Parts: sequence; C-alpha cells; structure tokens
Amino acid sequence: MTERIRRRAYPVTHSATEMFLLFAVFLSAALLLESEGLAHWAEGLEPGPLRTVAAPATQAIQQYLAPLNLSTLRAGTLLNLARVGWSDDPALIARAMPQPPAPKTTCVAAAAGSAATLAAASPAPTAAATAPLVAEVPRAIQLPPSLPPVVAGKPRVVALAGDSMMAVGLSAQFLREAAGDKNLRIVKAFRSGTGLARPEVFNWMQQYPAMIGAEKPDIVLVAIGANDGQGFVVDGKVLPYGSDRWRQVYQQRVDSYLSMLEASGAQVLWMGLPPMRIPVYNEKIETINRIDYTVVSQHPRAAWLNLSAVVGDSSGGFREFETTPGGKQLRLRATDGIHLSDEGAGLLTPQLLRWLDPPPPAPAANTAPPAAGAEKEPPAATPREAAKPAHVKASAKRARKHRK
Amino acid sequence: MLFPTVEYLLFFLAVLVIAWALHRYSAWHKGFLLAASYAFYGFWNWNYVPLLAGISLFAGLTARRIQRAQTQRGRKAWLVAGATVCLAVLAYYKYTTFFLTNLLAAWSHFAPPPALAINSPVLPLGVSFFVFHAISLLGDCYRGKVKEPVRLADALLYVAFFPQLIAGPILRASRFLPQLAKPRNPRALRVNRAFLLILGGLFKKVVLSNMLATRLVEPVFAVPQSYGSWDTLLAIYGYAAQIYCDFSGYTDIAIGCALLLGYRFPRNFNAPYTAANPQEFWRRWHISLSSWLRDYLYFALGGSRRGTLRTCLNLMLTMLLGGLWHGAAWTFVAWGGLHGALLVIHRFWSRIGWKPLVRMRGSITWLWISRLLLFHAVCAGWVFFRASSFANAFAVFARLAAPAAATLATGPVLIVLILGLGGQYAPPRWRNAFELELGRWPVLLRGAAFAAVLAAIEVLGPSGVAPFIYFQF
Repeated sequence: MTERIRRRAYPVTHSATEMFLLFAVFLSAALLLESEGLAHWAEGLEPGPLRTVAAPATQAIQQYLAPLNLSTLRAGTLLNLARVGWSDDPALIARAMPQPPAPKTTCVAAAAGSAATLAAASPAPTAAATAPLVAEVPRAIQLPPSLPPVVAGKPRVVALAGDSMMAVGLSAQFLREAAGDKNLRIVKAFRSGTGLARPEVFNWMQQYPAMIGAEKPDIVLVAIGANDGQGFVVDGKVLPYGSDRWRQVYQQRVDSYLSMLEASGAQVLWMGLPPMRIPVYNEKIETINRIDYTVVSQHPRAAWLNLSAVVGDSSGGFREFETTPGGKQLRLRATDGIHLSDEGAGLLTPQLLRWLDPPPPAPAANTAPPAAGAEKEPPAATPREAAKPAHVKASAKRARKHRK
Repeated sequence: MLFPTVEYLLFFLAVLVIAWALHRYSAWHKGFLLAASYAFYGFWNWNYVPLLAGISLFAGLTARRIQRAQTQRGRKAWLVAGATVCLAVLAYYKYTTFFLTNLLAAWSHFAPPPALAINSPVLPLGVSFFVFHAISLLGDCYRGKVKEPVRLADALLYVAFFPQLIAGPILRASRFLPQLAKPRNPRALRVNRAFLLILGGLFKKVVLSNMLATRLVEPVFAVPQSYGSWDTLLAIYGYAAQIYCDFSGYTDIAIGCALLLGYRFPRNFNAPYTAANPQEFWRRWHISLSSWLRDYLYFALGGSRRGTLRTCLNLMLTMLLGGLWHGAAWTFVAWGGLHGALLVIHRFWSRIGWKPLVRMRGSITWLWISRLLLFHAVCAGWVFFRASSFANAFAVFARLAAPAAATLATGPVLIVLILGLGGQYAPPRWRNAFELELGRWPVLLRGAAFAAVLAAIEVLGPSGVAPFIYFQF
C-alpha cells in the first residue's frame, strides 16, 4: 500500500506520449535559449543540403527572438566566464581582459592580446593574392639562409602557428627539443580543427593577434590547411571546393593570413602539408599546397619548406614508416594517416632548431681549415647513442649544451 | 556522428519519433532501428558498413549453427571457428602494423630484415566493440544462455544498435536479445532517468573532460620537460578524471538514449575511484568490458579453479590482453600488466589471515588509506595509457621529482578536477532521490530545466569548432 502511494506521488516511469510532450517543451526552451548558438552552428556547417535548410531557418528564429535580448545575456555570460579564466577563446579573453599579462616564461601559452590589436588585424592584399597558380610545388627542402646567432639575454621569439598539423606531433616534438633553450622564447599560436577556409567558424585574423598577445615574434613557423579542402559561402553564394572562384578567395585568405603573420616584422617559414594516406584527400592537399606556395613565393619575408621531402617517399608520396639503417621501423605519421608522428616530426625539428638558434661562431684558432684528409673525428658515440635516431641524439646534445 | 553534436540530436529525434510510431509492428520497428544504425555508422564512412553488416551476419549464422549442433564437440568447433574469424578481423585492422613492426624489430637483432613498405589499414570506428559483441553472441549461444533460437535480424541489430556501436557499453547477447524478442512498452519509460543520464554525460564529456584535456593534460604530456612536480602531479590526476569523465559521459549518453527508445543497457561505470582494492576497481570501471573479459577470457583460461599459480597467470594474461585490446602499443600492454600485477598482489594480500592485519583491514582508516593507495596505483597506470611512448611516460614520472611551482592550477581547472574526481563520492541515493523529485515537477518546468542545463553546458563548453577533419572521408 505504502509503495503504491509513493509510486503515485513520485512516478518513476512515464508514457511515450509524456516523453514527447517533455521533448516538445525541452526543444522549445532550448531553441529560445540557444537560438544564437544554433545559428552559429548552422553557419559553420559545410555547404550542403543540411546547411541550405538549417542556416536560413536558424537565422530566422534568431531574428524572431531578437527582441527578447537573450543574445546579450549569452554574450555577457561568455564575457564573464572569460574574465574568470573559464573561456578557451583567445579573442574573447582579449576582449574580457584589456591588459595583457607580460610574458614571464620562455613558453607562452596562448597569451591574451589587447582589444586594440584585434581591431588592427586586416592587412591590405598584396600581389600574391592574385598571382597565377604555380604548376608544381618544388620538393627540395629549402631552409632560408642562416639566422644570426642569438644575442645573449635577448631570446629569439618563435611563434608556432597553424591548425592540427602544427598542434599534433610537430609542436610537441619541437617544444620538447627546445625545452631549456634560453635563446628561444616559444609562443603557441595554433589550434586544432581550424583553417583559413571558414573564417565564420574560426577567424584567424582575430585569433592570431589574441594568441600572441604582446609578443612580437621574430620567426613564425606555420603549418595550416589540412581542414581547408571544403567549399564555403561568400556573400550568400556557395563556392564549391576547387572552383576558380573558390581558389581566388582562398588565395586571398592565405595572403591576408601571411601578411598578418609578417606584420610585426617576423620572418615566416611556411611548412607545406605532407602527402596524405587517402588519395582523394591527398589530391585536395596538393591543390592547397599549390595555392599556399604561390602566395608564399611572392612574399619576400616568407620561405617554403616542403614536408613531403622529409616524410614522403622517394616520389613524394605517402609513407607511414621509414626503415632506419639498423633495420628498425620508424613511424613517420600518426595512425590517422594525416598528422606527423613524434618520430616523423623529429626528422625535421633538429634542423629547425639549428636554424633558429645557430651555435656562436667558433674562436678563430679553431676555424682554420684542417689539412686535407686530416679532419678531426668527433668523439666516438657510445653504442647506445649510436642506436638512437638522429633527432634523439640532437636533442640530447642540445640538453647537454644547455646544462653546461 | 558524435553524440555531443546538433547533428546527432536531430538524428536521434527523428529515430525516436519513427521508432515509437512503429513500435506496434515489431519487425518494422527493428528493421528501422537497424537501418538507422547503419546510417549512423555511415556518417563516419559508408565503406565500412558492409564490414559491420558482414560481421553481424556471420556471427548470427554461426550462432544458429552452434544452437543447432547436436554434439558438444560440434558446438565447440563452431564457436572456435566463429571466434577465430571475428578475432582475425580485429587483428587485421588493429594489430597488423603492430605485429609487423615488432617482427621486423626482432628480426633486425639477428639479421637485416626484409624491406617492407608497411601501410596500416584504416581502422574502422568501433571495431573493437562490434567484434566483442559478435563474440558475446557466439559465447552466450555456446553456453546455452540464449534460450530462444537466434533470429538473424535480431543478431544484426544486437551488434549494430547505434547507441552502443562506437564506444559501448558492451552488451551481452543473453540480456539484449530477450529485449528484442518482446514488444516495446510505451507506458513504462524512465524518461527522467534518461534525461539525467544524457545531460550528466554531456556535462562530463563536453565541459569537464574537455577542459581537463586542453588546459592540464595535453600540455604536460606533450612537453613534460617544461613542467615541474606540481603541474605533473595535477596533470596525472587530471588525466584520471578526464578519461573517467570522457568515457563514462559517453556511455551515460548511450544508456540514456537507449532508455528513451525503450531498451535497457547495463551500467558501465560506478564511481571507480572510490574502490579500495583492484578487484573492486574492475567491478566499477568499464564494467561491461571487465565482465566480458572475466566471462569469455579469464573463465575460458580456467579462472581460479586450477591452483594459485595458474590463477595468477590467468589474471596476468587477461589483463595483458585487456591492455592490448585498448590499443596496439606496448604502453597499453604495460598498463594491462600493471593492473594484472595489482590484482595478483591483492589476491595474496587479502589471503593473509594474521589477526591484527585482518582487524586493520576492517577499519575506516585503512579503507581511506587503501582508496588513496589504489587511486595512485591506478594513476601510475594511466601515465602509460596516456603517454605516446615509454620515453614519454618515464619523462612524466621523472618530472614528479622536479620541484617547481604550479603554473596550470587555475581556478577553473581545479574546480573541474574536483568535480571529476570528488563527484564520484556523491551518494548514489542523491541521483535516485533527484529522479523521484523530478517526477513531481510538471512537464513544463522539467522541460525548461533540462533546456537550461543544456544551454549551460553549451556556454561552459569549449568555443569549439567541429573536428571535421576526421569525418569527411
């Protein structure tokens, strides 16, 4: 009897009809509270049937509900969350905190920039924005001429920029090998799942200045574009991926992004995307590389580094493993067939670090050229060291140098 | 298609409406759910739908053969053949590269290995789960736990049912097939429980897990050298909380969605970090996997019936293979080995009958000490689980001895860490009481409250961009 009374007072199970009634109320209220978020979601969809239906519908709902002013409430909440350190959106953080903190460590993680910096981000297009597309991207690795040695007490500021091609593998390996190098200050300015094709989803022209904050990078290493093999909408018109108009607009966006990276006088090293495992995807990436190279080759302060020469096979195609001289299989790519693995990135990072932080010139006595055939042998490596891949040895050498 | 997306919400709403509209017509209802499950899987990659359908069909046909076999030998032969094929599929997709690279590495110690161009096959999403479902169907039929003759359509839906398809929980054929045999009851749905599970799961996955991953765990595990002891310790705790929130959040959403469709899934997590010994931990962590490994692997190896040494060996083997199931890397095997060792040590420890020790083990103080010890042992295992290599794992451990101030311990990070770990100590009766209390609320209030929670999750969640890179090809 008691059980029956309790069940009547506190029903645990419900009918399907009541469930649908609850869903109707839930969805109506969610639509009311989340109309702006839904409009943002629909805007970020890739062009296709769903976007065609969802974008105008959610915009209409948003406009219809605008008099309720709920978007102001949402924006205010987001701003307050950014103030207390909850947000992960650099542009929002920059708006919430106008005074950026001064950098204290050698590695600055997505520091906030000022609102003024954000407003300044829109460089004028250069000739590269309309340059004719190159037929082929050269494969040779071309690190720019040596940089001057770092002046003591004035570390070189290096920004790591881009999407997941920088965030996964490359940046971690680079940061690990650069850890403890007092001559370099690294600024993280990368974000996975982003790109240049969809500024309405993630606007690098706003986010990059916010990410670097008060820093003025001397060098920017950039790897971006893996997500850009998709169509987008400009002035209400869908531009399918690969169309002439798409290429023109994308080229302009690459040019603007590059100009922004160079704005503080930085030298930019643009890393072309490596070959990908899935052929259809690889074709898209090749097109993006051609566009990127066309723009980069027109910018005097930018240089191109072809990753396919580092991790690709002899013909520049996709290669997952490399066999070391000792017969070991070195994984070059992450299991997704897209990103670099730690070992794959490790084939590149020692060269990058030598370029960024070259050793000081040797004293005059040691610089005299040795007699032919009398070149001094380096001290023999221990068998354990000899078995290590080159990048591991380079890393250990750097660590020893900094300990000294 | 991932659960925490608007696309999934739209998909699920359409499925919910149509499935309930068809609930009187059982064959149509199940046929529709099967089609919806393939569509759900096809959102990731249509090319692999035939593999999913093929495995389910093969398991269904073999299960029928097992049921029809007249002799025990015949039943066993069909079971072995079926399980071998299922495991071969899993091995091909998940372990080929692992096997080849290790083979070549071993070869290189004796002679120059042959030049092989290794190209890994694309790993089908959820393959570990649907292969285990197929084996569960075979195992349950072999043991006579599935009483009724297996219907092919039911076998297909059991393996492919979309809420559990990508990340479990791993259902037992003996418990799920009877549900498919009965018509849905539209008058007895635990709607409030389902909403609480879905919203709670979303909160854990979207808010807690994401913030711990991006603000604490990823930076430290990527570059351990840049962080000192406090940050490293927090990152290890953070990963313990992150993996719990991520995985349990996902399965909570799966359980909630199934409840709304009128199906019951088993509970997959039960406050695992409140466990005081390794055995209890595995009764609380990924329960559907640990019980699967116990029933189909540990018992098949002989369990604890063949003496102490063999029991220890069986425990180690089960945990080592359980580790390998999580990923084709030696770090996962080390993680499994560590848990196997913990189980073996606990087995000996719990058998010591010295009276003062028995008294101590019964005290509250020891309960908390053992909880603390076990939590840290589990955390040590998580370092191997999360690290990209042994070098990375040992670099993380080494930083625990490098004194430096905490730089990542911001207010929001500490709040989500406390919620992720401390939330497990909330008494289970609170949730039941809240569910009962919700039953008293009018529909309007409940709907509005649920929508407010969803909006809060969206605002507190990451300023995200959909990870479209993985879902286009």
